[in-house]
Amino acid sequence: METTNRKHVTIDPITRLEGHGKIDIFLDDQGEVERAYFQIPELRGFEIFSLGRPAEDMPQITSRICGVCPTAHHMASTKALDSLFHVVPPRPAKLIRELVYNTFMLEDHALHVYVLGGPDFIVGPDAPADQRNIFGVIGKVGVEVGLKVISTRRRLRGLISHLGGKVIHPVLGLPGGVSKRLMPEELPEFRQIAKDAVEFAQFTLQVFKDIVLANPEYVDMIRSDAYTHKTYYMGLVDEKNRPNFYEGKLRVVDPTGKEFAKFVEGDYLDHIAERVEPWSYVKFCYLKKVGWKGFKGGIDDGIYSVAPLARLNVAEGMSTPLAQAAYEEYIATLGPKPIHHTLANHWARVVEMLNAAERMVELLDDPDIVSDDIRLIPTATPDKGVGVVEAPRGTLIHHFETDEKGLCTKVNLIVATQNNAARMAMSVESAAKSLIHGGVVNDGLLNKIEMAFRAYDPCNACATHSLPGQMPLIVRVMDRKGEVVRELRR
Amino acid sequence: MVLALGNDLLCDDGVGFAVVRRLRPSFSEAEVEFVESGESGLALLELIVGYEAVVIVDALVSGVRPAGSVIVMDSSEFCRVIAPSAHYAGLAEVMDLGHRLGLPMPSRITVVGIEVEDPYSFSPSLTPAVAAAVESAAQVVVSLLPLEPR
Repeated sequence: METTNRKHVTIDPITRLEGHGKIDIFLDDQGEVERAYFQIPELRGFEIFSLGRPAEDMPQITSRICGVCPTAHHMASTKALDSLFHVVPPRPAKLIRELVYNTFMLEDHALHVYVLGGPDFIVGPDAPADQRNIFGVIGKVGVEVGLKVISTRRRLRGLISHLGGKVIHPVLGLPGGVSKRLMPEELPEFRQIAKDAVEFAQFTLQVFKDIVLANPEYVDMIRSDAYTHKTYYMGLVDEKNRPNFYEGKLRVVDPTGKEFAKFVEGDYLDHIAERVEPWSYVKFCYLKKVGWKGFKGGIDDGIYSVAPLARLNVAEGMSTPLAQAAYEEYIATLGPKPIHHTLANHWARVVEMLNAAERMVELLDDPDIVSDDIRLIPTATPDKGVGVVEAPRGTLIHHFETDEKGLCTKVNLIVATQNNAARMAMSVESAAKSLIHGGVVNDGLLNKIEMAFRAYDPCNACATHSLPGQMPLIVRVMDRKGEVVRELRR
Repeated sequence: MVLALGNDLLCDDGVGFAVVRRLRPSFSEAEVEFVESGESGLALLELIVGYEAVVIVDALVSGVRPAGSVIVMDSSEFCRVIAPSAHYAGLAEVMDLGHRLGLPMPSRITVVGIEVEDPYSFSPSLTPAVAAAVESAAQVVVSLLPLEPR
């Protein structure tokens, strides 16, 4: 590695993340980190592509944006259509949507814990890169656990497919309801899946405790300054301020944990603004009423965060008993709230797995879920609709406006990763600053920077080339003129 | 199973889907299953587990062949191929993982790759050179199946 002159280090793509990811680190003359940032994909092309198309096609179109979380896009679009066509779905339809959604949250979180982010902890942050993957995880926890993860995910995805069609291209949601009811004779099988899912989530919590929490070094790392930022947090909550992945109000707490705002989804533009920095095409979201202060963090800076850490920070408890117990242990260990440690996202994610699994059981025990009253046909003229869900990676906002025929005239999507973009930039920069000195950049250091990034589980994917695997890691070192001084590949 | 990977809203990335949609009506579902997916990694494992033989149809970005070129690769070649598409790098891992877990993995996986021009723009249509290659790619897929189209 060169040690003189200003350098530009590029990590592209981030290994094991779904989709493209690219981190750029600029070093100064002394080889110290001057600035670090990352890029996420631009959705503007997609928004333009959608103009003039019938709004009712949006749940199908948006679910193709991403090979990772099609169900989240599908559901956000479906809810935006309810709002656009001024229709409230019958209760059974809402229950079915929520069942599918919680099932999706659980299987997606499981993927992250065991395959995408978990290897950093389960295998260990200092393990060689070629071991920090699913093979390393299986080596550590055993083949039977690997089989359990695969079979559980398969059954959960089976439930989603049964109700929603293909996982990757769901056709469940319609404005005012769903396309398919749940038959009473299907209940026993689904209840068994839900019951097993609760056990699986409990098992995962135990794995996390045994391997991560039992290791003081890991807990110290979670608490370390390099992975800590005091920002605002946002997430959907129910009427008792408990997280709800499918519906509720958006609650924002400040860096001291005090409620700063609580609003309905249609008002999001009153609270969230976007800003483009000259050095990146990424749009950074911030709280309009606090303002943009340039990656400072703290109470005077409108940077906020979403995703599991944020959801548990805006919460005053969990809606289900096992998740509540896990939440209390989480707060007791890392608290008081709000917890500002980025790496705590991993633990919060496991708490949410329990919540999603328990919610599946509750929904399947609700007698209304097998009702055939699953659709209210819209009759009002469409105009404007906003739909929000909590995607695994955080708050996802879909906003459509149409002409009177329902053809899209405006499409605005704010994906979780955009909500988190500013805080992620802070995380990457602070990790880089604490771990790169004198121009020395090695594999272990780079991985720790990536760890900060991966904790958010950012979804940089469009469906193409989405790979949670071993794409080559490319590090480019560039001089002031932008010329590549050196290129390293893993 | 014939498995198309890609995204039919991203221009040429949808070429695999176009090929399986062309072939699907010619075979009974009981004989050959045609699947379209935008997934990879672990989801890919979940898709292919339990099948006897799998033909994967996908867009290729090598940059060295003219758009519309069709190539066939056997699963044994995946490790030697330096990621012509991200999907394959994942596939070698997926096969390895499946074997290590003792899952019933397909005994044979063949990839039919179609060199593409633009897999990045949001568009539901293929570029002309790639659209023109759909038929020949479909014939290549048929030649790999143990059955004749009806």
